[in-house]
Amino acid sequence: MTESGLAIETRALTKKYGRITALDGIDLAVEAGSVFGMIGPNGAGKTTAMRLLLDIVRPTSGAASVLGSDPRTGGPALRRQIGFLPGELRLDARITGRALLNHFASISGPVAPGAMNAIADRLGLDLERRVRTLSKGNKQKLGIVQAFMHEPRLLVLDEPTSGLDPIVQQEFLAMVREASASGQTVFLSSHVLSEIQQAADAVAILRSGRVVTVSSVEKLRLTATRHVRAGFVGVTAAELHQALSGIPNLSGLAVVNGDGPTELTATVTGNIDPFVKAIARFTVADLSVEEPDLEESVLKLYGVDTDEASDEK
Amino acid sequence: MRSNLLPLFRRSLGDSWRSLIGWSAGVAGALFLYLPLFPSLGGSESQMAKLISTLPPQLVRTLNYGNITTGAGYTESTFYGLIGFLLITIAAVAWGTAAIAGDEENGSLELTLAHGVSRQQLVLERMLAIAVRLAWLALLSALIVLALNAPSELHLTVANEAATAAAYLGLGLLAATFALAVGALTGRRIYATSAGAGIAVLGYVLNAVGNQTQSLDWLRDISPYGWAFHHTPLTNGADWGGLGLLYGFSILFVIVAVIALRRRDIAG
Repeated sequence: MTESGLAIETRALTKKYGRITALDGIDLAVEAGSVFGMIGPNGAGKTTAMRLLLDIVRPTSGAASVLGSDPRTGGPALRRQIGFLPGELRLDARITGRALLNHFASISGPVAPGAMNAIADRLGLDLERRVRTLSKGNKQKLGIVQAFMHEPRLLVLDEPTSGLDPIVQQEFLAMVREASASGQTVFLSSHVLSEIQQAADAVAILRSGRVVTVSSVEKLRLTATRHVRAGFVGVTAAELHQALSGIPNLSGLAVVNGDGPTELTATVTGNIDPFVKAIARFTVADLSVEEPDLEESVLKLYGVDTDEASDEK
Repeated sequence: MRSNLLPLFRRSLGDSWRSLIGWSAGVAGALFLYLPLFPSLGGSESQMAKLISTLPPQLVRTLNYGNITTGAGYTESTFYGLIGFLLITIAAVAWGTAAIAGDEENGSLELTLAHGVSRQQLVLERMLAIAVRLAWLALLSALIVLALNAPSELHLTVANEAATAAAYLGLGLLAATFALAVGALTGRRIYATSAGAGIAVLGYVLNAVGNQTQSLDWLRDISPYGWAFHHTPLTNGADWGGLGLLYGFSILFVIVAVIALRRRDIAG
């Protein structure tokens, strides 16, 4: 652990490919032992940032410190303490998964006896099959095993859940939480917020090579968008409209006057308190507030609408 | 605990034993096809000699068939200078390309280098694996030639055969290391393959042109093919100058590969 207690620190880290700026001066500080998520659409610079930390590519300017060392000079000794899962994992060896993992074990930190089998079993991966015959999801599992098996101090995982089915995703997220609980630092990226939301302590949002914001998941939740639905008795649509029109963070208000209760749907961004206070004077027959959708609130930060983003996946 | 000695070298050899068997079969097949025919073809009064004398002299010189009626000339013209040269060159270029450029283009170099290995170590261990495979092909050719020496009435000496195999290996190493170096510089398979094949073809062409007249003989001195075979090692023994150039440039290209790969970004 570094003296500052940071597993990763970058200062104005910049990477240009010719005239294209992939990373435009990012500052990140990842606490040792934490789970740090990086989200952003494809091309935001997430993969470039990770590749810089592993000295696969070199910065144009700025500096990075990983486990207290500069990746440029840390060399094999530093990388042995890191487990890396690349974003586009391409494995096509003729050998079995076990043989490939044995090879990776020989070029990384020492692997405890049984660790390989334990992780593979957890993810439901057959190590006796030849790598090139594995499905995309199973190759991804193999990638996860090689990243975790030597219990590295730092895990750098680029889009780790891509190709995994939901049950394995949950198992993977449990592994991330356990790694963090045992003092390992996890730095992971995604364009799917739900997994960051479940696993991460803090989140950096990248867009076009810049860090838009760094926030705890809790804070992000506070700025989150909530869909609300409520039913009222003894009040007209017009009265409701009038009562709620003064609330600045309320949008998409729709009121339906049916046979039964008057139904209201709306979207509240951020603080929910004004909305609650405003409806409290009426007789509330029914109320539901959806769990805030971080994805939607983050996409608002990106300035893209939700439809576009789902196309991107 | 498994041995951690030269992990990338061991992986490279483990990955390529199938292709090595194929190339070995090619070398053995060519030798077993050509050499046993010599007793029925060779000699200055033979059918072969008469046939060669009817061919255009430029063609004979291009194919280096001038001495084909001796055992040494025949072995060099048919195998080391032609089919064998082709086989070792293709194998060398394929392996030299795959070691860095191929691995980088298919995306696996990134993951290997994210582990506890240095780039220098990667270049050197993988090149060592290539050198071992090429040396095996050269050794295999020498063993088969010597085994057929008496039955095929080739009248070769062991020393000259060893010198020829060394030149043959040097020629393969040169093509492999050049492909490796260009792969390390560019990360592109097409450039690495073109470079490795290009240096071999250029060497062959320079040698063939230089063989036509005495005034162009100097071309053979700047041709890697000429460094290997100009002074007909199977007849005359080792050409130390030529061997020095082949192995010297091979070492230089490996150094270039190490420096180039250490300096640049790896493509994903």
